[in-house]
Amino acid sequence: MNPALVIAGYGLLALLTVAMALAALRLALGPSLADRVVAFDVVAAAGVAMAALAAVLWQKPVLLDVALVLSVIAFIGTVAVARYLEGKVRR
Amino acid sequence: MSSGWIVLLPLLAPLAAAAAGLLAWRAPRIQAALGIVGAGAQLAAGLGLLQQVLREGVQAVQLGSWPAPFGITFAADLLGAVMVVVTGVIGLAVTVYSLADIDPGRRAFAYFPLVQVLLAGVAGAFLTGDIFNLYVCFEVLLMASFVLLALGGERAQMAGALTYVTLNLVSSALFLAGVGLTYGITRSLNMAELHLRLGVVAESRPELVLALAGLFFVAFGIKAAVFPLYTWLPASYHTPPVAVSALLAGLLTKVGVYALIRVLTLVFPPLPGVGTFLLAVASLTMVFGVLGAVAMFETRRILSFHIVSQIGYMVMGLALVGSDSPAVRAAGLAAAVLYIVHHIIVKANLFLVSGIAARLGGSFQLARVGGLAAAAPWLALLFLIPAGSLAGVPPLSGFWAKLAVVRAGLAGEAWWTVAAALGAGLLTVLSMVKIWTEAFWKPAPDTATPPPPAARWRLALLAAPSLGLAALTVAIGLYPRPLYELARRAAEQLLAPSNYVAAVGVATAHDSARGDGKGGQ
Amino acid sequence: MTSFILRAATGYLMPLLLLLSVFMLLRGHNEPGGGFIGGLLAAAAFAFHALAWGPRATLELLRADPRTIIAAGLAAALLAGVVAAAAGEPFLTAHWLPIALPGVGKVGTPLLFDVGVYLVVVGTTTLILLTLGED
Repeated sequence: MNPALVIAGYGLLALLTVAMALAALRLALGPSLADRVVAFDVVAAAGVAMAALAAVLWQKPVLLDVALVLSVIAFIGTVAVARYLEGKVRR
Repeated sequence: MSSGWIVLLPLLAPLAAAAAGLLAWRAPRIQAALGIVGAGAQLAAGLGLLQQVLREGVQAVQLGSWPAPFGITFAADLLGAVMVVVTGVIGLAVTVYSLADIDPGRRAFAYFPLVQVLLAGVAGAFLTGDIFNLYVCFEVLLMASFVLLALGGERAQMAGALTYVTLNLVSSALFLAGVGLTYGITRSLNMAELHLRLGVVAESRPELVLALAGLFFVAFGIKAAVFPLYTWLPASYHTPPVAVSALLAGLLTKVGVYALIRVLTLVFPPLPGVGTFLLAVASLTMVFGVLGAVAMFETRRILSFHIVSQIGYMVMGLALVGSDSPAVRAAGLAAAVLYIVHHIIVKANLFLVSGIAARLGGSFQLARVGGLAAAAPWLALLFLIPAGSLAGVPPLSGFWAKLAVVRAGLAGEAWWTVAAALGAGLLTVLSMVKIWTEAFWKPAPDTATPPPPAARWRLALLAAPSLGLAALTVAIGLYPRPLYELARRAAEQLLAPSNYVAAVGVATAHDSARGDGKGGQ
Repeated sequence: MTSFILRAATGYLMPLLLLLSVFMLLRGHNEPGGGFIGGLLAAAAFAFHALAWGPRATLELLRADPRTIIAAGLAAALLAGVVAAAAGEPFLTAHWLPIALPGVGKVGTPLLFDVGVYLVVVGTTTLILLTLGED
């Protein structure tokens, strides 16, 4: 692979790691449930992006499946919590 | 070759009963009948397996005909076979007891099939020869136990179940991490092959192997409830129905102890300092467990704390594998095996009896019951046998088990731990006497609210399994020789893992060091 | 409280998710995938449906009680293992049909076992979700 691409890929991985760490911090700190839900979604999105990036960087198509399944599960998780929150607000 | 079906039968029989029971989920009666059949079949298969192992040595089977170490191996040595037999005994006793104890609500939620799944998981854990598969079996039995603990969903029960679930998930995560690291280091998950490979690794990187062993110790230590990882146990075991408590109290912590024994004798090479460390853990476990029991005034809580202190005796036996003398190592392991067998039977029985006592007296709170000795003399006798055995009164099974542990400890010059064992034994007598005087001897207090008398058939169903287990305790007490002999042989097998490795059929140390372990023939 | 966006989305997403789950199940023999992850994806699809339409509608969609699904799965997996007994071989030894089906590939006891796992996972997960979702 083009060395510039490899460098860019690792740079992106580093950035995503930072993003994930910050979002995880928000996930831990809260304070409200909504904050945590959004933070969780960001963590999951960063995870999906990392898996996809790793698939390209290390030529492992298997990792694309990880990204796929992770995104499905994270999406449904977010929807579920959103429904729950909505129910709470209405009541 | 019989293709080793006998090794898998104790696992497949309850699993098939569970599947059939779930199919009949509309008919709880059929489920109950299938539960009895499944547990009985497991006991029979376990006895068959034990006989086979006694006759022909370690039995192994490769699932799917994939040769070890590529496929999943199941292997039964004497320890595994004995444990499976005890599992079958407890499974059958608890299932019969459940017929009279479990309410229709829980039955409708597939109580009996869940017990079968639990029994299958326990048998699988005792028989598997693959460390990842051990993890899977742990998960199977934990899943079943989670649901059994939470079924019914009373408030106190949920609080107990949550503690249990959380701690056990932590333990599973650590176990899984340990399995992952083990695979990363050795490229193998087959326990027999790990025995060969970790020995090689230990020569060059002893600290790595020690760290791995530490990880496994914490994971299994939580499950076995050793000091200081035991706090979850007294917080959760007293909440579910008595039949479930008896099943969990009898079997589950002992699966943790079994895993410790298996991992320390088979998977890991002898580790420096492990004996001293385990002796310290054993002493603290015994003392803290028994002190907790002394402070309690609810039968099931007292019994739960005693599980912890009794685990200390088993760990003490295991700790002696760190000794220099082969005789002490063998005596220690044999004592541990004997203790486990005795303890499972006695502890499950005590929970069953406490359930009958609460049914007759109206409460588990010692302050609110009394006069049971006069009201139900048969129950008093039924209580005295396992209670005396737990406390180590001769000539019951507990006396021989304690004697074996203490003698091995004296031979291994573990003075402090022996002192702790004797002290904990005295305090155990004290707290058994406490239950006796409070629940049985003192007159019933005015606040006592005896429930309406139970039907005769119900009491008979409750008492029958307890009577059977008590008879086993007395039989072991009067004729300890055969069981001790069995435990001694099991210990010998554990201390000479080459038999196990040969039966599983992985490549020799020389081959695997070259890195071309082909496995099989 | 009904969400039309969610309900409309289910119509498109459910079939896709179920297709993905079957794909995972069938591919699992020699590549990542298999009954467990396939079953998990299918359960996710049903969870999604339950979010949009409520647990009762999902139960009707499933037709069978989750407990029956679990039992069928367990039975299938056990059957896949026990077939080998007829040939006097160890538990789970693979037996294949001589012909391969188009789109599915080789059919044999390992596939049956995977289908069993798939059903157990679907049944267990939906049972948990629907029990939790009822109150």
